[in-house]
Amino acid sequence: MTGPWWPRCCSVRALRKTYRLGRVDVPVLHGVDLDVARGEWIAILGASGSGKSTMLHLIGGLDRPDKPRNGNPRAEIEFQGRNTVQFRAAELDRYRSTQVGFVFQFYHLLPELSVTENVLLGAMIRLGRLGYLRQRAPLRRRAREILDAFGLGDRLRHRPSQLSGGERQRVAIARALINDPAMLLADEPTGNLDRKTGGRILDVLAKVRSDGGQTMLMVTHDPEIAARADRIVHLIDGRIAEGPGDPA
Amino acid sequence: MYHALLTRRYLTSKVMPLLASLAVVLCTAMVLITWSVMGGFLRMLTQSGRSLIGDVRIAWPNVGFAHYDDLITRLQSDPEIEAATPIIETFGMLTLLENRTDGVLIRGVDGPSFARVTNYAETLWWHPLEKPLSKDQEGLDVRLDTHNRDLLAEIYQDGLRLKETDPATGGLESSMVLGIEVGGWNVRTDWGGYYPRVQGIASAAGAIQNRNLFMPRSGALPLLVVPLDSKGRPMEPVTRTFPIANEFESGLYDIDKQTVLVDLPALQRMLHMNAAKRLADPGAQEPTAGFFEDEAAPAPVVEDPARVTAVLVRQKNPNGDPDRFREHCRGIYAEFAGAHPDVPSAISIQIETWEDANRMMIEAVKKETGLVLVIFTFISFTAVFLVFAIFWAMISEKTRDIGVLRALGASRAGVAWVWLRYGLAIGVVGSILGGLLAWGIVTNINEIHEGIHQSGQWLGDSLVGARLSSWFGWRRPWNWYIWDPKVYVFKEIPHRIEPWKAAFVLAGGLISCLVGALWPATRAARMHPVKALRFE
Repeated sequence: MTGPWWPRCCSVRALRKTYRLGRVDVPVLHGVDLDVARGEWIAILGASGSGKSTMLHLIGGLDRPDKPRNGNPRAEIEFQGRNTVQFRAAELDRYRSTQVGFVFQFYHLLPELSVTENVLLGAMIRLGRLGYLRQRAPLRRRAREILDAFGLGDRLRHRPSQLSGGERQRVAIARALINDPAMLLADEPTGNLDRKTGGRILDVLAKVRSDGGQTMLMVTHDPEIAARADRIVHLIDGRIAEGPGDPA
Repeated sequence: MYHALLTRRYLTSKVMPLLASLAVVLCTAMVLITWSVMGGFLRMLTQSGRSLIGDVRIAWPNVGFAHYDDLITRLQSDPEIEAATPIIETFGMLTLLENRTDGVLIRGVDGPSFARVTNYAETLWWHPLEKPLSKDQEGLDVRLDTHNRDLLAEIYQDGLRLKETDPATGGLESSMVLGIEVGGWNVRTDWGGYYPRVQGIASAAGAIQNRNLFMPRSGALPLLVVPLDSKGRPMEPVTRTFPIANEFESGLYDIDKQTVLVDLPALQRMLHMNAAKRLADPGAQEPTAGFFEDEAAPAPVVEDPARVTAVLVRQKNPNGDPDRFREHCRGIYAEFAGAHPDVPSAISIQIETWEDANRMMIEAVKKETGLVLVIFTFISFTAVFLVFAIFWAMISEKTRDIGVLRALGASRAGVAWVWLRYGLAIGVVGSILGGLLAWGIVTNINEIHEGIHQSGQWLGDSLVGARLSSWFGWRRPWNWYIWDPKVYVFKEIPHRIEPWKAAFVLAGGLISCLVGALWPATRAARMHPVKALRFE
């Protein structure tokens, strides 16, 4: 699906990340390169500890890659022509709120907020107080539309604790979509769900992609789930090994 | 926008912030109540100090100054001045019952004008009372007795003019008004009043006769003073027995214990400060007589005008700046001194406000108030630590939420503001509720105090109370008056909430919460989003 003729959404070069555990450096990513086409659904498949989530966090601007040392090249994450590694903190915050939507394995909904409020949280952060107040009505309409589309129209005032796991994950996807991001980053979105519910969540993601044209990077350790993606990228010990699921 | 939403939700869905708010409520209320009661106490003391001084005192102690009538005329013609009155302040010895002799501060006053300058009329204790004092619920005050109404009215009038009608001649006789505690024969009650003691006197036959020590009825006491000549040299002591016209209660124990008021002309005569022809130099050696009687040189005699040691002045505006008014009086005195070369100059004369005169007492109470406030403010700092501990725990609990906020694009400052705003909300809620609680308590403090006292009485009268008292040998365990009027001069707990003090304390509560939230908020802001999301 990727190639010189295909519009690129994101390009990763020489991505390295090392964590420090006590006095020991633990390298997680060893120079990852990846091109992601616009509207592409990529599954990053790998065993536990292979660096899948770390890669997702780096692409999503939640973390920063290692600085170049020992002759290693400087890491680059190019998104729509700009290198996010060079972003200052405020730019990175803006990048996360406008261009990226995160979906986590454990949903990470705020328990004190209702379903609608959880969904609108991203918009509140993006627009600020005045901006949000000015656009509150259309935003609430949009949140309702998304939740209706996800079959949660009758759960708008519910708290997360009153929802099932599948419903919570659908709310989390709705939250990720409220700002209409260019890229959806899903970290084991079905990892905490049974197979049937997980399948439904994948259906939702597929529909989102087909309706909105979002680029999707999905981390999973399950080859069956990965098979739903356009392309599978194997991450083994912090290195990319393109797998058999790659249609290219 | 998300700050406001999260603040509201965190505030209403958790118990811990409610506890923090409660701590702020109690600390704010505690400091405000203390400040209001101590402030009221200070105000009461200063007002009591003012009650017998007026606004400004122009004084030349001991020797006194002449032509005071002219000074008073000049003062009273000034549009800012309500009234002025001459007084003499000196020391003397009062012979009490059974020849006990006490040193006292004697004030010679002209009753009517003294009452116009000071609150003297309100300080006179013995007068007919229409309704009982607030704590005298059983109506035990002897002044309520309708049978004594005429007598008390007469005693009150005698006290006001410091003169009594002489039953022998029918004329007016100069008299004396004592501080209510001077003689020690008035018993202070637990409802804040007095009743005259009854003394048992054994007769030669062995019988005991009760003697009522209500002095304004028929009491008379000898007063000794040492006059000074116009050069300040002591002269022969003079003793005169004055009938007791009334007794006064100023509200300051020291004044009520040590001060006696005497009719001014009588004291002037005793102190040789009345207008008279006197030897020019009474201390000089007697002139040597010649051989013949008509050759003796006559001692030089001068017209000595009447003198007083002070003039008290009251300004028309009761809230006028005392320091400015003092300087105004100094200007009038300067004109007066210019017209009379034999009076002290405007530079030498003592002109002081009632605050200056009571500075020692006022400063002492101010220092005590400050000390109490500092102690309570330190105690209130527990609110800071409580907010800090609660926020620290909450931020640990909300670590993942912080990670989510960062993942959704919230900045570090934005995350910090969530918690600071939360602290601010706790501070606002706590301070306002604390302020309301303090206002409720302070404005009803006397009713609450009375309620506590009555609860104690009720418990003491109950079977359980009686049994406990007999078991443990308690004598007065059920008297729950914290401020017992028998011990304290004030009958009601003084209090005064001043808006600026309330604002200061409320702002303090708010700042305490912000300070308590500051470090946890910084910690939240510095959290790494990935670590926060992975926190378990």
